[in-house]
Amino acid sequence: MSGYRFDRLRILVADDNVHMRKLVVTILHAFGATQIFEAADGQSAWSIAREANPDVIFLDWMLDGLNGLELVRLIRTSPSTPNPFVPIIMLTGYTRREHVMQARDAGTNEFLAKPVSVKAILSRLISVIEYPRPYVRTKGYFGPCRRRRVRDEYSGPERRIEDAETNGGAIEPLNA
Amino acid sequence: MSRKHPIEIFMPPNILKAKVGGTVAGIDMAAIKRAEAAVETLKTDFQNWIGDDVEKLAATRDAFAQKPDVTARDALFRGSHDLKGQGQTFGFPFVARVAASLCHLLEGVEIAAIPIALLDAHVDAIRVCMRDQIKGDSDRIATMLAGELEARVQELIAPKAAAR
Repeated sequence: MSGYRFDRLRILVADDNVHMRKLVVTILHAFGATQIFEAADGQSAWSIAREANPDVIFLDWMLDGLNGLELVRLIRTSPSTPNPFVPIIMLTGYTRREHVMQARDAGTNEFLAKPVSVKAILSRLISVIEYPRPYVRTKGYFGPCRRRRVRDEYSGPERRIEDAETNGGAIEPLNA
Repeated sequence: MSRKHPIEIFMPPNILKAKVGGTVAGIDMAAIKRAEAAVETLKTDFQNWIGDDVEKLAATRDAFAQKPDVTARDALFRGSHDLKGQGQTFGFPFVARVAASLCHLLEGVEIAAIPIALLDAHVDAIRVCMRDQIKGDSDRIATMLAGELEARVQELIAPKAAAR
């Protein structure tokens, strides 16, 4: 992809379901990513996160060992984490607002509700690359700012069909 | 007046942007098309894979029927939750819908009150969707079946919700 050099990124894909993992990896390969690490459970994902120091993490909510939320909290707050600011994109079949809030409160950057699609993955990658949020440290939380993000280029509704499709898969903004 | 627990807000350097370079405008549409073509191929392969997952679901159903406890319920939920996500992603919306109804049943009803016959009806419906390769969302019989299963689950959950 000429716009972004995804081949320069180390990307961790953690999902216990081999089919879903294969899907995400296939899409990332097609975008040009070459340094992809896969994990089938929470403990392996945590080991890879520490050893490979990925630039982006795609994380399923349901993982054996450590679940997705526990892993996000570890990555954000453990003394042995190599990068507490690493962007984390949570993939899940959960779609209720309470789940989005839980993911947000754990320190997730983006939330991607299944079905997973090429455009939904690209949209989340663009979001973490172009529109990073400030980080917040309080007594009980460390992670991306949970308040509504204000993008400075245009704040109105998406009118182009292409843009609307690119946003497919999002049930609501994570920071709403 | 100062806060007892201060809030620190800061913007870390955008290392990701520095690494990937480029701009949104430079995104290669051919790469998106390549990715979509690869996903279509995976969808075809998925028709072979999903059979194994459906049989795993049936096995967790059997385990739950023999010993209905939290462990068995969670394993069954996990299988149905996986099928829900995969059905949505790989083009089997009825599998996803019936699996979602099964998740709802397992989440919303006490273990002792989950009717095995209703579990079986869900698992059988998913098997039929796969056997008959029902992929679209317009099959009349599948629509009726899914609606009926959802209604039965709702009947079990509604009194509990009303009691809250």
